[in-house]
Amino acid sequence: MSLNQPMTCINRRSLIRAAALTALPAWTALPLRAQTQPTGAAPQIVASFSIVADMVREIAPAALEVSALVGPDADAHVFAPTPAHGKRLAQAGLVVVNGLGFEGWIDRLIKVSGYGGAVVEASRGIAPLHGGHHGIDPHAWQDLSLARRYVANLRDGLAERWPQHQAELNDRSAAYLERLATLDRQVREQLGAIPRAQRRVITSHDAFGYYAAAYDVDFFAPQGWSTHSEPSAAAVARLIRQIKRDGVRALFVENISDPRLIQRIAQEAGARVGGTLYSDALSAAGGPADTYLKLFEHNTRVLVAGLTAPQTRAR
Amino acid sequence: MTLASSFTSAVRLHDLTVAYRGHPAVHHLSGAFVAGAMTAVVGPNGAGKSTLLGALGGALRGYEGRIERDAALRIAYLPQASALDRSFPVRVFEVVAMGLWAHIGNFGTLRSTEHARVDEALAAVGLTGFGQRLLGELSAGQAQRVLFARVLVQDAELILLDEPFNAIDARTTADLLALLHRWKHESRTVIAVLHDLEQVRANFEHTLLLARKPVAWGPTAQVLDAAHLFKARQMAEAWDETAAPCERAA
Amino acid sequence: MSTALQALVGPFVEFPFMRRALVATWALSLGSAPIGCLLVLRRMSLVGDAMAHAVLPGAAAGFLLAGLSLPAMSLGGFIAALAVALAAGFVTRHTPQREDASFAAFYLIALALGVLLVSLRGSQMDLMHMLFGSVLAVDDAALLQIAVVASITLWALALLYRPLVLESFDPGFLRSVGGPGAAVHMALLVLLVANLVSAFQAMGTLMAVGLMMLPATAARFWVAGLPAMAAVAVTIGAASGTLGLLLSYHAELPSGPCIVLVCGAAYVLSVLFGARDGVLSRHLRKPVHLSR
Repeated sequence: MSLNQPMTCINRRSLIRAAALTALPAWTALPLRAQTQPTGAAPQIVASFSIVADMVREIAPAALEVSALVGPDADAHVFAPTPAHGKRLAQAGLVVVNGLGFEGWIDRLIKVSGYGGAVVEASRGIAPLHGGHHGIDPHAWQDLSLARRYVANLRDGLAERWPQHQAELNDRSAAYLERLATLDRQVREQLGAIPRAQRRVITSHDAFGYYAAAYDVDFFAPQGWSTHSEPSAAAVARLIRQIKRDGVRALFVENISDPRLIQRIAQEAGARVGGTLYSDALSAAGGPADTYLKLFEHNTRVLVAGLTAPQTRAR
Repeated sequence: MTLASSFTSAVRLHDLTVAYRGHPAVHHLSGAFVAGAMTAVVGPNGAGKSTLLGALGGALRGYEGRIERDAALRIAYLPQASALDRSFPVRVFEVVAMGLWAHIGNFGTLRSTEHARVDEALAAVGLTGFGQRLLGELSAGQAQRVLFARVLVQDAELILLDEPFNAIDARTTADLLALLHRWKHESRTVIAVLHDLEQVRANFEHTLLLARKPVAWGPTAQVLDAAHLFKARQMAEAWDETAAPCERAA
Repeated sequence: MSTALQALVGPFVEFPFMRRALVATWALSLGSAPIGCLLVLRRMSLVGDAMAHAVLPGAAAGFLLAGLSLPAMSLGGFIAALAVALAAGFVTRHTPQREDASFAAFYLIALALGVLLVSLRGSQMDLMHMLFGSVLAVDDAALLQIAVVASITLWALALLYRPLVLESFDPGFLRSVGGPGAAVHMALLVLLVANLVSAFQAMGTLMAVGLMMLPATAARFWVAGLPAMAAVAVTIGAASGTLGLLLSYHAELPSGPCIVLVCGAAYVLSVLFGARDGVLSRHLRKPVHLSR
């Protein structure tokens, strides 16, 4: 190909080539297409991650089975899909995702797996907040009122796929929405009891923007440091000053950062180290946050405990 | 083999067999080293001379046969020069003072008498004033003098020297040989592994010619004759490195 | 003038965590630098890094037995490192193989074993991340641990100075006079493991090995003689720690690497300008035979 040829010619040829290459993986998935509807097995709903999977489980009739690609205690941000995941998708009756850019890997995985059915976006219709990695904060489930929207979207999506279950879906969703509403009231009550000025925490994961907006709590990020790298003394000093200056009362430890460092900082700044906050995934079965409702209850309880403890003297 | 049985022996060997790296290096050696005399141990390369000295000096523990000597005998053993790390940052005085280990052990401090002994030893080897120099700064000849000073300080009755004059200048060799004669004068027993046969003829009245098996042992003039030397060379060529250790006595 | 003083002293005055980090670094230098000197002299300079990997199977075993319990994992790590060190020492004493080779062999065995044990549990958790601390996070317990280990090390080295030097310099001679060569050798290895493992936990592997070895390698370009070398190494380590912490504070750099890099700069300066065999100092000094 010489440079003298018109640009359109080059573009078209390379485009065709590129399209052929990208389609290759899809061709390898062709044999899977034949198996998309295995006879006799229960219809599978594959959710992208555990929180959405739990919501679906609550509203879906028993005849439908639900599984999650990113399970409890796992991080959807660093999820690396395997061929086994692709196979599960291929055999799914319905795929449910969070949306808002949370699952950066889902589009490619769906394409590769050859799944041709509908994809329900749980957060459809929600006006997102700013934040996150791509300018949009995807953690909309951290607001119970937005979670109502999730439930509605999921119900509608399931009903479209399996109209025969419409009635049951409506009933179960209504009951679930009722529980969400009750919990929402309780959370507002508990947090409302704490003076506004005291509702300040620092957590290293920027996943609580919606919670902060909905329940009027300040979630600060530790200024100017990433938990994955070793911090500078300046960053530690700055955080201690920030905590003291802003009257932050509680620090919440993510299990990826250095717990000893957090302890040191909290001790020196006179703040408390709270328990674990669950942001992006349910805990393992049997843990304190193995359903969405329990997750919310746990987070709120832990937050309240951290915020109402007497302020310790700085050491 | 002639045994100098009419002289007192410092060390008597009974059918000594010493292995080195799994192969017998000294085969069935019996005899006696004359007390208060200078005995040279000579032989072809690989003849087991260093191994013999190692066994005598307590550096090699595993051997068959018997080494008979007075249990209270103080021994000084100077291994081949290559075994030392000359670059280790240790001062000349400290090296010589190591010879007093038997007296002061791990923790004792040097009294003034002992300090004086170290100084005397340094003077005897011609290194007065070298006390604070680092061993690594010295030439090979000077370093060897330091080691001889250490032997002096050890005040041993049996002195074992493994190739003490290897790659040493003639002046140092002459000075250190004089030291050997002084030791003989003090009725100490000296056993030295050497390569220079002229040196042996000139200085040592007894010689053990070894080619793994003993070839000859006795007065130097008798041992170092052409027949014995030829036989030693023959035996060296006949060494079979793969042979199993032999069971019977020579 | 006062702003310069403020810059140097202020961070330590204002923040307890800076003070702790400083004291921890000084204590670590005090205990580790002399051992580092001995390692350098015995041609064992890479052993420190090997030890960082040797702790893995012990930590993994502790994890498998007791879950995420820091005491269990620490104890396991210490035992594993000790086993590697003593095994290597044993091989060195009883075969012609030297210590650098025997250490390499055993630490690799330990590392592979550790990786295997970790994979049995199938957890994504990074055990080593849990086990190794950071200098800014030194708490009372870690500080006490380092201080105690440093004290014991200095005391032991002073006590065993003579046989240690003998064993390093002329083991054949020590053997011939019936000295405690094996005991002293093993004692050195135990001290090495104690220093390294406690430093790993308090401050991470980079700082532990860095502060042990770099000042020791630099000291040789200023003085000779073991006590002087150890003293210079301790000084370089403590000074680097101080400077490194200040740099981390004022220039926003991660503390561990910063401290070790300052040590590294000290080493490079020593190689170039050291009074004893420095590469450039020979040119800078007027040749003796031309003076006067």
